[in-house]
Amino acid sequence: MQVNLRHNDNVIILDIEGNLVGPNTIALKNIIDNLIRKADGAPVFLILNLERVQMMDSSGLGVIVAAYASIRRDMGRIVLLNIGGNIRSLIIMAKLVTIFDRYDTEAEALASFQNT
Amino acid sequence: MGEKKQLKIFLSLPSTMQLIYLLDTVISDILKEMKFDEEVQEHVNLAVIEAGTNAIKHGNKEDTDKNATFEFLIDDEKLTIVITDEGPGFERQEVANPLDPENLLKSSGRGLFLMEACMDEVVYEAEGTIIKMVKYR
Repeated sequence: MQVNLRHNDNVIILDIEGNLVGPNTIALKNIIDNLIRKADGAPVFLILNLERVQMMDSSGLGVIVAAYASIRRDMGRIVLLNIGGNIRSLIIMAKLVTIFDRYDTEAEALASFQNT
Repeated sequence: MGEKKQLKIFLSLPSTMQLIYLLDTVISDILKEMKFDEEVQEHVNLAVIEAGTNAIKHGNKEDTDKNATFEFLIDDEKLTIVITDEGPGFERQEVANPLDPENLLKSSGRGLFLMEACMDEVVYEAEGTIIKMVKYR
């Protein structure tokens, strides 16, 4: 799995490539944990671009849920971008569809942060 | 009367999560060969990865001296997958429901639920050290 980190103003975009399954998820967890730690209590605004993620299991979902909880605690926000049908179905099954804001384009995702 | 044909594929993995990709490769090929539609393939693939994670990580505690085994039984009607670990087992009813509001934002505990949601049948045997999952064609 590869993760590319970009900034757009105060929004961080993580472009993720590969399967978010099993041990692969640890790298993403470490990156998000680092971002939260560096923010030192300041809100983190994060877009997870999942366009190139074909598969995600409960470990991957767990990393994203944990990130959501930590980021919300500091009044930040995390949104999902470009999720495929399999990840959408996973989120629906896990009843997390109302928790995560999802966008189909980066412009829409970025615009959603303008009021935060 | 013709005898029902059944193909058996057996995979035994030392208990390290680094080998979970082998399981993914094997089940992906089986599902393609059985011509399940794409959505069903994704669901069964997810259920097998979850069951493999359960056996290797939670059952065998990633002890590489212990093996997790996967038996794939293919016939005209269905795919049956039997997963076995060498761990102490568990009681299914003692595992919390991840859909309960107090569990919704927990970072773990969704594996069994997803297996059951993705397969047509999931049966726990031998105190949870054997899991039998079925998907009908």
